[in-house]
Parts: sequence; C-alpha cells; structure tokens
Amino acid sequence: MVAEPPLPPTISAQLKHLLFHSSLPFRVEQIWSGCKNSRFSDRFTLLIPFCLDYVKWDIVYNALFPSAAPDIVFSPNDEEFCPLLPIIDGEGEVEVVARLKKSFLWDWNGKDPSRLLKLVEEMRDLYVQYQRKRVGEIDDARLKFEISTIFSREGIEVCLGAGTDKSEEVKFVVPLLDIDLNKHVHACPWKQQQKIYLQAIFPVSRMYSSAPSAPRLKLVSSSQLKDLLSIEDVKLPSWVDGMCMAEYLPTLEENLKIQVIEALASIGSRRRFIEALVPKFGRHLEADPIFCRRATFLAVSGVFTFLVHFSLSTQFPKQQPILTLQSSQHYNSQGAPILSPSLNDYPWSPRWGDAEMTERLFDFIVKECVNFKRYCLDAVAS
Amino acid sequence: MVDESFLVEKISISGPTLSSILQRFASSSGDVDGLLFGHFTRLPPPDPHDDDPSSSSYATASSGAASSLSAVITGYFSSGSPMSFYDSIGRIDSHSLRRAAAAADDDRRPLLIGWFSARRRSPLRPSMREVSVSNSFLETLTLASAAECMPQNPNPGSCIFLLLSSSATENQAIHTHDYRAFVLRMKKSPIGARILEPRSLDIVNIGPAFRGQYGSFSPESALPWLPWKVDDELAEPESLRNLKDVAAAQRLLDSAAEGFNMERLAHLVGPGIAEYASELEDLYRKMLIKLEGLARLVEKSSARVLEQENRNLKLRCRLAGLE
Repeated sequence: MVAEPPLPPTISAQLKHLLFHSSLPFRVEQIWSGCKNSRFSDRFTLLIPFCLDYVKWDIVYNALFPSAAPDIVFSPNDEEFCPLLPIIDGEGEVEVVARLKKSFLWDWNGKDPSRLLKLVEEMRDLYVQYQRKRVGEIDDARLKFEISTIFSREGIEVCLGAGTDKSEEVKFVVPLLDIDLNKHVHACPWKQQQKIYLQAIFPVSRMYSSAPSAPRLKLVSSSQLKDLLSIEDVKLPSWVDGMCMAEYLPTLEENLKIQVIEALASIGSRRRFIEALVPKFGRHLEADPIFCRRATFLAVSGVFTFLVHFSLSTQFPKQQPILTLQSSQHYNSQGAPILSPSLNDYPWSPRWGDAEMTERLFDFIVKECVNFKRYCLDAVAS
Repeated sequence: MVDESFLVEKISISGPTLSSILQRFASSSGDVDGLLFGHFTRLPPPDPHDDDPSSSSYATASSGAASSLSAVITGYFSSGSPMSFYDSIGRIDSHSLRRAAAAADDDRRPLLIGWFSARRRSPLRPSMREVSVSNSFLETLTLASAAECMPQNPNPGSCIFLLLSSSATENQAIHTHDYRAFVLRMKKSPIGARILEPRSLDIVNIGPAFRGQYGSFSPESALPWLPWKVDDELAEPESLRNLKDVAAAQRLLDSAAEGFNMERLAHLVGPGIAEYASELEDLYRKMLIKLEGLARLVEKSSARVLEQENRNLKLRCRLAGLE
C-alpha cells in the first residue's frame, strides 16, 4: 500500500477534536485522498457507536476546498436515512428549513475545530430518532407495547436488524442505573462516562402469539468498567412469560445497584488488605493505586530473592488473591525470569481480619518458597 | 408534490455524452458536479400478449399508471468548481441554477432533467447532501416548469441523478470508472421519504445492437440543423424566423466549404472527374490546415485554463491556511 497523504491541518484539527473530546468512543478506520496527486487526504471512515455496535459513515471533504462543509455517505442499509429532508414526525418543509438553519452544516466554519464533532453528534441524534421511528412502525403488537411503555426512559437506543437466520429482530439498548460511576471512583482514570446497559433482542412476529418467546438478554458495560466490576459475573433475574421490560427493569436495576455498591466497597477492602501486607512484606514495589487490583512485593529467604505478585479480583475478599512468585535469580533459556504457576489453593476465609489474612499468607509463602526454589532449579537444569 | 402518474422507468445516455462526463471527471483534480440536460420520451405500453409472466404482471401493475417515461440524457454542463449551484445543506440556489442552465442553453433549450456528482474513491451510494440536492432540484424544476408553462416539453416531476466514482491502482495502470443512475421518487416506505431509486443506464451507441435505438435517438448538438430541401417550392411558406435560421446555417456551412458549393459536387460523376477531384482534395487540405489551427488554439487555451486553475488552487490553499 502506498501511504496516503495526511489530512489538511484544519480538517485534522477537527478530527483530533472529535476523537479527544467526544463522550462516545468514535473510531477512525481509514483515511484516504479523493484528489489526483494531492498533498492532502480528504476522506475517512468514521465508526459511530450506536446500539452497542458501530455504524460506518464515510466523511467526504474536498482537499481542494478544505474550508467547505463535509458530506456524509451512510451505510448501505441506511439508504432511507436522509437527515437533510423531513425526518421527524410531522416535520414539514418549513420545520426542516428551520432545523437545518440551526444545523452546524448551515454556516460551516472550517477553522473551528469543534465543528466536525458537533455535526457528527447532530447526525447521530437524528439517526437514533430515525431508527426509533423505523422500529415504531413495525406491525408487531408486543413490540408496540414495549415501545409505548419504555420509550420515555432517557437514552434508549433501538435498531432493526437481522438475526442469524435472516429473520427480523429488534435490539433495545437500555442504559441502567442513574449513577455517575466515574464520580464514585476516587481519582477516576476514565475519560469517558462508564455505563452499564441491558441489551434485549426481540424477534419480530407480525402474527399474534399468546406466549411470545423471551427476548435474548445480555448485560453489557463500557469497556473500561471491567477494572471495577466484571459484568459477566452478574446474574440476570429470570424473565417470566408474559413479562414486559418495564416490569423487568426495576428488579434488574435493584439487583445491579447492590452489586455496584459492593464492587465500589471492594476497592476499599482491597486497599486495606494491600496496606496490611506492608508491615509483614515491607513496602510494595508496585501497586495499582486506583482499583487496587494488583500489588507486587519483594521477598527474601536466605539468599533466595523473589517477587510476590498479588492479583485481587473484583470479588475480593470473597475470592482469595491469586499469587504468582517470580524469581530474581533464575532465568529460562529465553532469558525471562522464571514464574511459578498461579497459586490460589492456600487456606483462606473472607471472614478473617486483614491482620490474620496477612499472617496466614506470610506463613504460606514461607513454606511455598522452598518448593518454588526447587522448581526454579529444576527449570534451569532442564 | 411529485405526480405519481409519471414513472421514469428507463434512463439512457448517448455514448459521447457519458464519455465526455467521464473525461471531464478524469481530467479534474478533485470532485466534479454539474447539470444534466435531455428530454423525456413516453415508453410504449407493454405488450399485453407477452407470454413472459413477469412482464405480464408488470403490465397489469402499471396499467393504472398513466404512462411510463424514458429519460434521455443528451448533454451536461459542469462549472468546474463543486457546490456551485447548491449550498452546504443541499438547497438549490435557483439563481445560479438559472445562470448555469443559460450558459449551456442554445435556441432550442434542451430540458434540464437532473444533475450529476462525481467523487473519486467513494462509495457508489448517494450521500446525505446529494439526496437533499436532488430533492431541492425537483422542487425547483417543478416550480420552474409550472411558471413557464411549456406544453410540449413538460418536466414530469422527476430528477435524474448520475453518480460517478473512479479509482486507480497504485501504479496508475488500471483506472476504474463506476457510475449509477438514480431517479428521485416518493417511496411507499414506512418513513415515507423521497429516495433515490437506482435505475439501469442504457448507453446508446453506434453498432448493430443499437440500430433500433440509434434510429430513434435525437442527439442535441450545437451544429445547425440543415433542411435538405432548401428550395423546394412546394414547401409551406416559411416564417421569417425559419428563413433567418436557414440563412445563418448556410453561412456557417459556406465558411467551412470555402465557396465550394453543392452543385459542383455533381461534377464528380462523369467526365472531367480528375480535375474536380484535385479541387476537392485542395478543399480538404485547406480544411485540415484550418482544423490544425483550431487544435493549436484549443491547446493554448487549455494550457491557460490549467494555469489559471493552478493559480486558483494556490489561492484557495492560502485562504484555508494550508501554506
């Protein structure tokens, strides 16, 4: 591949602003030039987060007229999405013109780096409305009921898609818990707002059915939340026949809220545990200061020096820490230090106090280091 | 509102027009757009005795509709800079549209039937703005034709949109030109929006496969129409305007023929042929020299256009703060 030329400075500034300042995880897939022998590129594919997935939009600028407003080519399935034409219910010509005159496209200023972000956000909002309207017009009594009962919730996204057997299905994505998770984490490292969503996929059936099948339910969290809470471990309450989402959501949210509070409390207990290790093991070499998921200590037994890695799960103290020992003196044939297998079958009880946990762990490591030293010598000899 | 009784079923374009658009696009350094001219012809109603089940069901389906039309693209106009007749939200500027249409007009006014957009290395799907421009185009056209009341050539409430894209391999050895033709129409979808529906594009060319089509095809050209029986006395008395047209056309022909009139061609048959042949050769030689002079003029002016375009490009870059 011949390398594509860079974007002109003004367009590049707009794209950088979009990637750094957006609250949504936009991604750029490809940048290329649409001009002959140009010094600059002028088009790129932007991945727009929507409904826990991405839609691909091609943003088309013109490198010869870099200050002109860009154009967008939407995905092949969205040919009916025309944001510059009437789109919202009851919108006539006059309303469209009024809407467009407020649009960022109307008096485009290529020198303002925030323009592209504003435009894309504006179009994404319209896209969310367009998909809602599409789903709202499906002739399915159950879906119509679901929509009428939960569309008033804020931030719901829906889309019409095709299942594995090409049957139509509707995906609902409902943001759960009205808690600002970022605020509850001390010294929060997350740039984007972390959220937990319920994804519910309903099959579309245009015929009446007295016992419609349960939707496919799944909890999804924004990617960085896994440091705090592993969403796969959260058990979903069961879906009773004839239920609707408006009934299901309160139970689920209550359930989830308890788990989130536990997960937040777990940070504190991990921190206290790591601090309790210090009197016995000495100052840690390295520790995760925010979520307290990892800590490493240096240990010495006679002349044998080794590292002890503690890995703490989000379920701590219910789940015991996973220990790994690493020799500072023995290396394998590739020159890497020798590591012990993960150790998690030592005596443990979540009911012990931090002092007792530390005491027992220390005793265990004193015994285990003899085994580990032998293990190292064997590994070097072989 | 679009009159649903008119359906543009077919779009055709003459080979030279299409190749000229492609050439215009290929030689420009960036994206190109412009206006399409042509006319609509009524398609004959489908044969009711056809055995083909698909076409007979089509016949019954379309029997309710008044007629289906075929759009013929015969010419185009491109101003050289994109977005010259519409704005960033895709609204047509009717003034610049009229100006652009006037620039391409001659006496016989080919009908403005749509527009085209050519953008390199981009998907062959109408963009957000292109849909909006087509929509606004249709409204402008419908308004204009209603205002001007052209009975013999009404715009049937359709906008033809031709989308072109091209790409080249890295070493520039293979250039690919793609195109798709669309017609704007109301879709009976849940959303109820006007959308651009793809239509196949027939290219009318010379060749045995196109004989029928070519015979019925009337190209638009800037060359005058020369009636072959100028001094037929039985002809209807001609209007002053017609006479003027004919005289102007004759003058144009005379200037090319250097006084070599039609009657002398008759001497090419029979005795004295050698003399006339050399005379004719002489005429051709003169014509060739003239053509060469013209070609040189075109070359020079092309060079100047290119120079000016480069200058404009530099100015635009400076304006956008690129230097």
